[in-house]
Amino acid sequence: MNKDQLTEKLATGKMTRRQFNKALASLGATMVMMPMGSRMALGASEDHPTVMTWEGWEIPELHGDYIAKHGESPNIAIFADEEEAFAKMRAGFKVDITQPCTYKIPMWYDAGILQPIDTSRLSNWPDITPSLKTIPGTVYDGKQYFIPTDWGQTSVLYRPDLAPEYVDNETWGILWDPKYKGRLSMSDSLVDGVMVAAIYSGAENPFDMTDAEMAKTRAALKEQLPLIRFYWDSPTEVEQALASGELVAGTTWNDSYATMKSEGHNVAYMSPKEGAMTWVCGFCIMTDHDPAKIDKIYDYIDAYMSVETGVYEITEYGYGHGNAKAFEQVDPQTLAALGFTSSNPDDMLGSGIFQVAMANEPALQAMFDEVKAGY
Amino acid sequence: MNNAVTLSETRLKLRKLFLKSEPVRGYTLLSPTLLAMIFGLAMPLVVLFTLSFWLQEYLDFIRTFSLANYLEFFQKPIYVKVLLKSIRISGMVTIATVLLAYPMAYFIAFRVKSNKLIWLILITVPFWTSYLLRVFAWKIMLGYNGVINSGLKSLGFLTEPLAFLLYNPTSVVITLAHAWAAFAILPIYVSLEKIDRSLLEAGRDLGESAWMTFLRVTLPLSLPGVIAASLLVFIPTVGDYVTPSLVGGPRGIMIGNLIQSMFGQSQNWPMGAAISVMSMFTVAAMIGLFLWGTHSYRKRVA
Repeated sequence: MNKDQLTEKLATGKMTRRQFNKALASLGATMVMMPMGSRMALGASEDHPTVMTWEGWEIPELHGDYIAKHGESPNIAIFADEEEAFAKMRAGFKVDITQPCTYKIPMWYDAGILQPIDTSRLSNWPDITPSLKTIPGTVYDGKQYFIPTDWGQTSVLYRPDLAPEYVDNETWGILWDPKYKGRLSMSDSLVDGVMVAAIYSGAENPFDMTDAEMAKTRAALKEQLPLIRFYWDSPTEVEQALASGELVAGTTWNDSYATMKSEGHNVAYMSPKEGAMTWVCGFCIMTDHDPAKIDKIYDYIDAYMSVETGVYEITEYGYGHGNAKAFEQVDPQTLAALGFTSSNPDDMLGSGIFQVAMANEPALQAMFDEVKAGY
Repeated sequence: MNNAVTLSETRLKLRKLFLKSEPVRGYTLLSPTLLAMIFGLAMPLVVLFTLSFWLQEYLDFIRTFSLANYLEFFQKPIYVKVLLKSIRISGMVTIATVLLAYPMAYFIAFRVKSNKLIWLILITVPFWTSYLLRVFAWKIMLGYNGVINSGLKSLGFLTEPLAFLLYNPTSVVITLAHAWAAFAILPIYVSLEKIDRSLLEAGRDLGESAWMTFLRVTLPLSLPGVIAASLLVFIPTVGDYVTPSLVGGPRGIMIGNLIQSMFGQSQNWPMGAAISVMSMFTVAAMIGLFLWGTHSYRKRVA
């Protein structure tokens, strides 16, 4: 099923699949908090590997070659963010493949849960954009621990009709505009939420802040709290609220812009003057994968890296794809309409603030929790 | 041959022992439940308790005894404050749930004459769906373009949707009060149903008004049900984290969210365990206080 058709079908009822999945994920998280040992993923048969990924990245269109070869999709588990995925795996949830973003790879590598990947087994590896293959923190001792598949931005999605003064003045500052009190939203996460406050408060390197910069970030979060309608967990929440006018602006990823545009909503995606955030996500093979499934594991990764997947992802989600050849298949007008200023990720990724591993995550999370509790 | 004899002799001996000793018979009878309690309840609690005295360093636990987590619990204002807030919200939920459940239980117990079972089943109907679906249903009810707002708008009472309905502690109370209603109605109903009707007649015969009969006979006699209902609602809602994270908005966090954050994003399981232990102790203390209070009330009216 086409992603837009799906959205349309669910648009009438307010309960969307995403919300529903998210809800189930929360319940699942509660379950794995109990030390119960390993848990089998729900879904397809036991012959297939288990893939833990972001909501929306599991759809059959993104691994068509795998289905063509093996008849059906692998087992899928969804995470809302990498922290949730990490907590689940530490609690004993066995997965074969995950799809985190680069800023998490150093920590996961330290935790010893990542397996080096044999790129010679991936037929699409030579077509991957070269600069994505060597992102710092993803290669150790010359071994590849990460296969880049998706890249995109974190920026502000807003309603130009409701906030016209920002059309020629695109800035993260809209999220601190008291005029829109109660009509703003931000991601309930460190990398897409707290880092926005760090950028706004002028931290030189948001991902490795000094104590003074931390204090300024906390002040910015406190200042923003009364203006926030909700911190979002699922992109659907923020998309629906923007569509209804409940929200004027919120942080999102590119796919929310692509989705809302294709549904005909009047939204614009900012290129903030402080810089948008950019990210690269991709595959990791976990150390406790099932060795008997290793061929299918590589087949799945290779299928996702294909040109067909890339074209679908670019046109439907508005994300960049790791396969450079995929861009050649999409006409420049479509690319421009989706907000791609260039088909070369180096241009796009270089123009923004690239998300890298955050120093002292526990302190950042404690700060965020304290602000939410009123400190 | 010889073997068979000794075997049956041992079996006989064991059987004798089994029949003679009351504790052995008792424990055997209990064993399935007891084992489930040990493995499902006691052992996880021991694990949690132990964990709370360890420390987290990046990805590893420091497995030496330390009170640092508990010190932090009291030194940083956030934990006590959020715990008190959770207790306040749960207290409000409990009061709201019991107040709403009591008339409903009273109606079924005293006014419904036939097909009581149908009424009881009807009360449980909303609870056939998942807990999360009910929380989402309230999101739709209270939402910006939700049932209440669009209803009031189409009736002409509103021009702009009311934003205060959702994403605040009040919406958490409303949602939880509905989500746990059945757990309050059923125990109250049972205790009302058990009341000897002749006592009520006696009360009226002796000249009490209907209201005074209720206060002096029905209410004290139904207190066990009210107490059970209060505990059934209060205890689980203190630690709830799904509802506040879905309908609570930016300031709606409760102690369950902090614990979840410690086990999730913050990657500090020992601290999460310490918060859980403190939360359990506080709830236990609250319940002790509550039971003591209701006990002295019952003594006073009796």
